Amino acid sequence: MAEATRTGRARTGRRFSAAAFARHRRAFLFILPALTLYVVFIVYPLALSLWGSLFRWRGLRQQGFIGLDNFVRLVEPPSRDLLFGAFGHNVIWFAGVMLLQNGLGLIFAYLLFRRGRGTALLQSVFFFPAVLSPVIVGALWKLLLSPEGAVEAMLSALGLMEGRLTILGNSTYALYVLIAIDAWNWMGLPVLIFLAGLRQIHPSVFEAARLDGAGPVRTLWSIALPLLVPAVSSLTTLSFINTFNQFDLVYVMQGVAGNPNYATDTLVTYFYRLAFGAIGAVGITDIGLALALGSALFLLLTLVTILLIRFFERRTVQPA
Amino acid sequence: MTSLALRHRIGQVPGWIVLLAWAAAVALPLYILIVSCFKTTAEIYNDKFGLPSAWTFQNFISAWTHVDFGRYLLNSLGVTGAAVVFTVLFAAMAAYPLSRYELKWASPVLAFFLAGIMLPIRLASVELFTLMKELGLLDSRLGLVFVYVAIRLPFAIFIFANFMRALPRELEEAARIDGAGEWRVLFLVILPIVRPAVAIVAIFTAIAVWNDFFFPLIFIFDQDLRTVPFATMSFIGQYRTEWGEVFASLALSMAPVLLMYVLLARQIREGVGAGGGLK
Repeated sequence: MAEATRTGRARTGRRFSAAAFARHRRAFLFILPALTLYVVFIVYPLALSLWGSLFRWRGLRQQGFIGLDNFVRLVEPPSRDLLFGAFGHNVIWFAGVMLLQNGLGLIFAYLLFRRGRGTALLQSVFFFPAVLSPVIVGALWKLLLSPEGAVEAMLSALGLMEGRLTILGNSTYALYVLIAIDAWNWMGLPVLIFLAGLRQIHPSVFEAARLDGAGPVRTLWSIALPLLVPAVSSLTTLSFINTFNQFDLVYVMQGVAGNPNYATDTLVTYFYRLAFGAIGAVGITDIGLALALGSALFLLLTLVTILLIRFFERRTVQPA
Repeated sequence: MTSLALRHRIGQVPGWIVLLAWAAAVALPLYILIVSCFKTTAEIYNDKFGLPSAWTFQNFISAWTHVDFGRYLLNSLGVTGAAVVFTVLFAAMAAYPLSRYELKWASPVLAFFLAGIMLPIRLASVELFTLMKELGLLDSRLGLVFVYVAIRLPFAIFIFANFMRALPRELEEAARIDGAGEWRVLFLVILPIVRPAVAIVAIFTAIAVWNDFFFPLIFIFDQDLRTVPFATMSFIGQYRTEWGEVFASLALSMAPVLLMYVLLARQIREGVGAGGGLK
């Protein structure tokens, strides 16, 4: 009897581990295709880039280990001005997107929310530019903003401007025009995310605010916004990552050198020139600098993203 | 109508004006894009906002023949279609055990994948270029598919894992007792239930891949293998003064996305509200 129990237990024990092994193996086989592609085409090149930034390069050939020399060259002349210029543009871009895109987006979302469910068409219109290729958005706005284009005609008709509109060639304003176009492009994103967040807030919260005599502005600022921290968090993080990866709009509208005179240059357009060369100057690349810039940008993005997520986690209000 | 309700209605007017003003800011540039396609370049210069004096398709015909648009459309369709199919397939396969098996290593592996949502892969494009060259995947549509699937997998796995985690455990246990293997459980039991997740992943993968021009820019040198956005960009560089044709080429490359958007607007709105990550 005791004998039988013991062998029985041993047998189920062994069968269990065999089943567990089969389950692990099956799980692994299911994950394998995704894991392979992800490691080979994303993780491996990224790791090589980080590692490679510590070496000297001749063309695409890796040479001796030089420690942080590439990073030092990056912050010294002649690279220095381009680097800090581009970095400054990215910072301004991020601030502009937060204010224009996410700020206006919150207001639009709140207005749509207060008007209930009959606004589906408007929401779809607001989001439409976000599904367009940056090539279409950039080229369309470039045509509209060019001399003798539609914007010029409109401003002249309204008596706001005389003569030719050359704002994309103006080194003071071109950057702000691009930021506004980027906000136009992605406005639907904060609108839809804030709207989804507002709908998750219990109606009694708004009812209580109304009974306390809070107006719409106060309700949005003091009641809704603190409850929208998860949405603010993901939009801030997303905007940060996207802004510091900004390349498409600049490339299509102002060229890879961020015309005029690097006034719209960003870190990724600078990276692209270092890695693949500028138009008309093909071959003048500096892989060491490119990898150093890429690695620095990667570390900056990772660090700030983690800090942002932490910052907002602590400010998330649990609705009572 | 009571005076209170009336006052409420009137109070909503400024808000409506703001909303309609933004709708106009979105629609007006697109309106100009559409009407300009049918105008001659001279007409575009003279009258920007009116309807064309004669609706002619000449711009579309010239743009189509100058760009060899049909070929690029097929390239884009092929690359996008393959990327969507493999992203959905591989992401669902990976998300299934990671979200539904009891495995100690599931959550670190899931976190490893999800980190990819924010990895700036463009910054690794030098090493990626070298890798593609060694694998013989430069100038290859298949190479583009591999890269796109790898880029889209983290977001897709995130969406699938979230949807699958919410399902009751009895679901696949009943199927297993009936003798269904794991493949059948995944494809015949789980996937049909998480159809909304399949829709979100497919739609946003399709949009992102269809619109991308960065990777063709660095990996494709053969003109015949270009995709639509990339081909459109080089076309507008070459024919920059032929405004009618440039507008027509933009409209042509926008048409498939517009068609999809009209058909799937609701799913796209809900998907953005649920998932957020589009870019």
